[in-house]
Amino acid sequence: MLNAVRKLRKQISFPRIVLIVFLTAVGVFMLIPIIFLFNHAFKPLNELFAYPPTILVKQPTWRNFEQLLLSSTAGLVPFTRYLFNSAVISAIATGAVILVSTMAGYVLSKHRFHFKTMIMGLILISLMFAPETVAIPRYLVISGLGLKDTYFAHILPFLASPLAVFLMRQFIDQIPASLTEAAKLDGASDMYIFTKIIIPLTAPAVATVSIITFQAVYLDVETSTFFMTKETMKTLAYYATALVVNVPGVAATSLAAAIGLIMFLPNLIMFLLFQRKMIQTMLHSGVK
Amino acid sequence: MNSEKGRRKGLFVFRMQEYGVGYLFMLPWMIGFAAFVAFPVGWSLYNSFNTLYFRAGGFSYTWVGLENYKRVWFENSNYRIELITLLQELVIIIPLILIFSFFVALLLNQRFPGRGAMRAIFFLPVIFATGQVVMELFTQGAGELPFIEQYNIEAIIHKNFDERTAASLVGILSQAVIILWYSGVQILIFIAGFQTIPKTIYEAIRVDGASPWESFWKITFPAMVPFIGLNAVYTIVDLFTFPFNSILGIITSNMFSPTTGYGYASAMAWLYFALVLLLLSVTLGLTYRATKGR
Repeated sequence: MLNAVRKLRKQISFPRIVLIVFLTAVGVFMLIPIIFLFNHAFKPLNELFAYPPTILVKQPTWRNFEQLLLSSTAGLVPFTRYLFNSAVISAIATGAVILVSTMAGYVLSKHRFHFKTMIMGLILISLMFAPETVAIPRYLVISGLGLKDTYFAHILPFLASPLAVFLMRQFIDQIPASLTEAAKLDGASDMYIFTKIIIPLTAPAVATVSIITFQAVYLDVETSTFFMTKETMKTLAYYATALVVNVPGVAATSLAAAIGLIMFLPNLIMFLLFQRKMIQTMLHSGVK
Repeated sequence: MNSEKGRRKGLFVFRMQEYGVGYLFMLPWMIGFAAFVAFPVGWSLYNSFNTLYFRAGGFSYTWVGLENYKRVWFENSNYRIELITLLQELVIIIPLILIFSFFVALLLNQRFPGRGAMRAIFFLPVIFATGQVVMELFTQGAGELPFIEQYNIEAIIHKNFDERTAASLVGILSQAVIILWYSGVQILIFIAGFQTIPKTIYEAIRVDGASPWESFWKITFPAMVPFIGLNAVYTIVDLFTFPFNSILGIITSNMFSPTTGYGYASAMAWLYFALVLLLLSVTLGLTYRATKGR
C-alpha cells in the first residue's frame, strides 16, 4: 500500500502535471469540431439557428433523424436508396483496393522486374496531383468504356489508388526478404507466399488502407455528380451536398445536421476499431 | 560447355518467371492506373496546349502551343492574385504547423500516465483530415471557433495591437483548428523520428554533463532535420491539394466557362502543379544540404 503511494508520488511530479494539463487542453480543443458535430445533429430547430452558435445541445431531439429517414429527392428516390448505394459501393471498393494494392505492393517490394523505379516515381508524382483537375478526361474515359450509370464507375476509378500502393509497399519493405526467400527455397509458390505470409503480416497496413479507402469512397461526391445521370445510382455523399438545393427552407438545415453526423459516424467507428494498427503502419511507412 | 549453356538457359527461364510473376501481380493496378490516372493526366497536359470547346458530338481542338499558359499568367489577374495570397498564407501556416507538431510530438514522447489515450486523440485528425471530412465539418460551421465570437476575442485583439498585427493574429486564430487538424500526420512522423535516436546517446551526453537544453540542440534537433524536411514536404502537398483551396476553385470554374474552355483550365492546373513541384524541390534541396553539412 505504502509502496504504491510512493510509486504514484514518483510518477506525479510538477512538470509532469503541467505537461498532462497542457496536452489535455490541446486535446479537448482538437475534439471540439467532433463534439460540435454530435451535438449539432440532436439540436431542435430553434437551437440550430441560435446566434452565436452553441457547441452543446440543450434539449436533444431525434427529430432531425426522423425527417432525414422520411426525406426523398423531389419525392422520387428515397433516402434509403442512397444509403444502400453507399454501403454496397464502399464495401466492394474497399475490398478490391486492398487486394489490388497488396498485390502491387508485394511485387514492388519483393520482386525484380523492369520499370520498378519508374512505377514508384509515377506513384509519388500522382500523389501530388489534385484529382479535381482531371475530371473531364476521366469522364471521357468512363463514358467511352460505357460505364456511366453502373456501379463499376463508382468502384473502378478508386482501384488505382497511388496512396494505397505506396503505403503497402513501404510496409511490406519492413518484412525481411529472408522470410520470403526461405519460403521460396522450401518450394512455396508465389501465390502461397502471398496468401500465407504477406497478407497475415500486413494486417496493420490493410487496416490503414481500408480506412483511407473507405473514407475516400464513402465521401466521394464527384463520381455521382459527373458519371451518374440516374438519380437511383447516386450515393449518400451526393445526397448530402444536394440537400441544400433540393429541400427548401428551414428543413434543409435540420436534415443537414443529421446527415453530417451520419456521414461522419462510420469513419469514427472504423478509426476506433483500427486505431492502434493504423498508428503502427504510419510509424513504419513514415520512416524509411 | 553444354552444362554452362543449360545453366544459362535455366537462369533465363527463372528470371523470366520472376519477371512474369511481378508483372502479373502488378497488372490489375497498372490497368486501373493507366485508365483512370495516367491517361487522364496525360490528356489534360495535351489539352493545355489546345483551345477546346464543347461542340455537338464532342470537342473541337485547335493547337495553340503555349498560348494558354501566356494568357493564364499575363491576362488573368485573378489567378495571379489568388496564387500570391495562397503563398502568403502558406508561408505563415507551414512553419506554424511544423513548430506546433514538433512541440506536441516532443511532449507525447515523454512518459506519463494516459499517454496511449492522449496519442490516439492527437492522431484522430490523421484520418479525418483527408479533405472531404474537413469539408463536411466546415460546411457544418464547425471550423470556426465559436468562442472567438462568444467572448469577443477579436475586439480585444484589435484594442491591444496595432491594425496590421491584429489582422494577421485574427487570421491565424480563425485558422487555429485547421492548424491543429493538419498536424496529425506530422506529429506521427516526428514521434517516429524521435524513436530512431538511440537512448544510449542521451545517456552518454548526460554522463558528460550536458543539460537537457543542450542535449536537445546538440542531439535531438540535428537528428530530426530530415524528418522536418519530410514533414515540410508532406504539409506542402497536403495544403496544395486541399479542396478548399481557392486556386482549385478557379480552375474548376474555368473548366466549364464558355469563354475560356477546358484547355485554358488545364493550363492553369499544370502551372499550379509545376509550382508545387518547384516548392517541393526547393524544400528537399534545403533539407539535403542541411543534413549533408552536418
